[in-house]
Amino acid sequence: MSGGAAGTPKPLPSSGPKSLREMPHPLAPSSSEEMGPALTPSPDLLLPRSIADKDLSLPNGTPVDTSSPASSSSLLNRLQLDDDLDGETRDLFVTVDDPKKHVCTMETYITYRVTTKTTRAEFDLPEYSVRRRYQDFDWLRNKLEESQPTHLIPPLPEKFVVKGVVDRFSEEFVETRRKALDKFLKRITDHPVLSFNEHFNVFLTAKDLNAYKKQGMALLSKVGESVKYVTGGYKLRSRPLEFAAIGEYLDTFSLKLGTIDRIAQRIIKEQLEYLVELREYGPVYSTWGGLEVELSEPLEGVSACIGNCCTALEELSEDMTEDFLPVLREYILYSESMKNVLKKRDQVQAEYEAKLEAVALKKEDRPKVPTDVETCQDRVECFNADLKADMERWQNNKRQDFRQLLMGMADKNIQYYEKCLTAWESIIPLLQDKPETK
Amino acid sequence: MESAEAEPSDSRPEEDGAAPCSGLPPPEQPGATMEECLAKKMEITVSEAEKRTGRNAMNMQETYTAYLIETRVVESQSEGQCAPVDSLWRRYSEFELLRNYLSVTYPHIVVPPLPEKRADFVWHKLSADNMDPDFVERRRIGLENFLLRVASHPVLCQDKIFYSFLTQEGGWKEMVNETGFQLKADSRLKALNATFRVKNPDKRFTELKHYSDELQSVISHLLRVRARVADRLYGVYKVHGNYGRVFSEWSAIEKEMGDGLQSAGHHMDVYAASIDDILEEEEHYADQLKEYLFYAEALRAVCRKHELMQYDLEMAAQDLTSKKQQCEELATGTVRTFSLKGMTSKLFGQETPEQREAKIKVLEEQIQEGEEQLKSKNLEGRDFVKSAWADIERFKEQKNHDLKEALISYAVMQISMCKKGIQVWTNAKECFSKM
Repeated sequence: MSGGAAGTPKPLPSSGPKSLREMPHPLAPSSSEEMGPALTPSPDLLLPRSIADKDLSLPNGTPVDTSSPASSSSLLNRLQLDDDLDGETRDLFVTVDDPKKHVCTMETYITYRVTTKTTRAEFDLPEYSVRRRYQDFDWLRNKLEESQPTHLIPPLPEKFVVKGVVDRFSEEFVETRRKALDKFLKRITDHPVLSFNEHFNVFLTAKDLNAYKKQGMALLSKVGESVKYVTGGYKLRSRPLEFAAIGEYLDTFSLKLGTIDRIAQRIIKEQLEYLVELREYGPVYSTWGGLEVELSEPLEGVSACIGNCCTALEELSEDMTEDFLPVLREYILYSESMKNVLKKRDQVQAEYEAKLEAVALKKEDRPKVPTDVETCQDRVECFNADLKADMERWQNNKRQDFRQLLMGMADKNIQYYEKCLTAWESIIPLLQDKPETK
Repeated sequence: MESAEAEPSDSRPEEDGAAPCSGLPPPEQPGATMEECLAKKMEITVSEAEKRTGRNAMNMQETYTAYLIETRVVESQSEGQCAPVDSLWRRYSEFELLRNYLSVTYPHIVVPPLPEKRADFVWHKLSADNMDPDFVERRRIGLENFLLRVASHPVLCQDKIFYSFLTQEGGWKEMVNETGFQLKADSRLKALNATFRVKNPDKRFTELKHYSDELQSVISHLLRVRARVADRLYGVYKVHGNYGRVFSEWSAIEKEMGDGLQSAGHHMDVYAASIDDILEEEEHYADQLKEYLFYAEALRAVCRKHELMQYDLEMAAQDLTSKKQQCEELATGTVRTFSLKGMTSKLFGQETPEQREAKIKVLEEQIQEGEEQLKSKNLEGRDFVKSAWADIERFKEQKNHDLKEALISYAVMQISMCKKGIQVWTNAKECFSKM
């Protein structure tokens, strides 16, 4: 699973919002000059430009993502950005916070403030602050999946909550969701390709996102082309070893996460049942204390102590429910969407192999490989490169995320026991107290 | 008209355990001091338990457990020499017989209770089976505790039957039965909830009986909930063991994360296993509470005996009063109160003076007897109250001391459990940090 684009200077074209058909073949002699004219789009199309070119903008004035991963110069820039992201010189910061409830005649919903701070040239201003609701995030994700099908798109928190009677507007639910949405945007921000996506840019900056959404739809239907290139209908003979390994890994991975999710839920359930009994247990000591004279204070002390342990346990269970379980579920969703990307990759490869076979069968004396087969080959190699790069990035992030998640779980348990320890230690002197010393 | 005196006693407690005047043959000497107690002079242990089979009274085969009582006289003078250990086997029913004897013979004493006959307040892990080794073991400890309690009691430790129980294997049962204590046992005491309309009970005993009822109720409640708490806590710990397995499986597909996950999983297993010892220790705390649950019953029994004594006294006084009245009426010929006899004699004619004389004489004899009995009953009652209250004060101090110790040991157990928890999770956290 070593990264393709990140490590080698091989100028593999990576996909962007632009169709691959527009990109020159990697093996074709290319230079920046040749690329220039090929990239001149019609004003109607939303196509990326080289970083230097900033003329294009949407009719309503919204700036358009102008990075073009295709040109070799921009490619080098991208590689550099990759390294920079690991270091100190990040140039894009996004935060989700400040949830607010909106009550309208038709519906009630929550919006979140999305704050952007950046020095990137793709953004007109250094700072933006917009309000977005869940369906806007959902829209963004769909757009990213459409326009960047060779990349792994981070997951969103679940749209609908089925479990029990969950209050969509409770503080806990909203906070859990906010954290997940924040994580979603941060993952995109960290991605060297996705973070330059125009839809992402619009999402962060547009005052009226709905207008943009409608426009986007109109333009697409006008152009009559889909940027999706999952062709379908081809059967892959066999997955290359490394992708098969990824597939197997993801299968087992999501299986194990599912098990951990069930265990964590079970533990929370048992803890809450334990809590119910403790809540009855503590007060009995108090009742007993009421009967006694000399033992009254010690028994009251024990009762209060158990009460403190109850509070600590409640906090532990809440933390696990709000912080631990959602992240697990996110990763399960992540795995699922990644498996879908793998399948898409298989499709692309299958198409290529089918077309290649067709050509081979023709047995014509063709010195030149037909263009559409070449295009397919490009796609396959592009896809493979993107996927491998993303996979490596994903593995790294996953490791950090789980390290943090599990350490957090351990921490919460330690804190729980420390609170209980303090409570019990503090009543020892009370219990040992002799009546004469009072 | 002399009204019977059924006085409540004064509330001045005695210094030593006063000798009871219940008409039974206990020793007349004052109670032993702490140093003279049998417990100080003799080492007593219930060291073993053994399953036995035998034939019961109906010649049917039965299985029971026998307990080995070992005793050794403590030589205060010589340092080097150790007296030999004496031992004999006793079964639970013999312990019960001993306790019944002590309860009847010393009605003013709060007699130490036996450990429970059947396993009660169990949580799912413990068996309710009397033959279960854990139950037998805890009963062995409970029986030893009982013997030590009796041996440390200033009055009870001097009892000969008790001494024989510890030292004389054969013929002990017959010896106990020969005391005839069963005859002295008041069957009314068995009817625990039967009420007697006592006009002037000692208020302290009434309050104490109320307290013992409340204490029994609250400790039962506490033990029941504690058992449920233990059950739930067991569940929480054991489920964590599943983490061990899944972390291990997960680590197999990971490269860098593998080791950290694997070793963290091991700590989860340790965590899950730790609950067994923790809860076993807590059973000792539960046993301490149980002892006082049963002690509350013993306390109640003493209050009950006072009630009955007072009742008998008031009945006797009432009887005496009515006899005196009858006597007066016969002597003076006036009928003060309605009586069937008076009516019939009115209806069917007066008796002859000779008949009347005879009646008066009988009554006068009865009255004299009655007055003597009343006097001795009053004395008995006062002595009972005095000596009972002395033992109750002793018991209260013992109870406060013991329960405080029990609460401290419980807190210490909880502290230990918390520290173990912190340790395990800290270890796990370190493993996670290496992922």
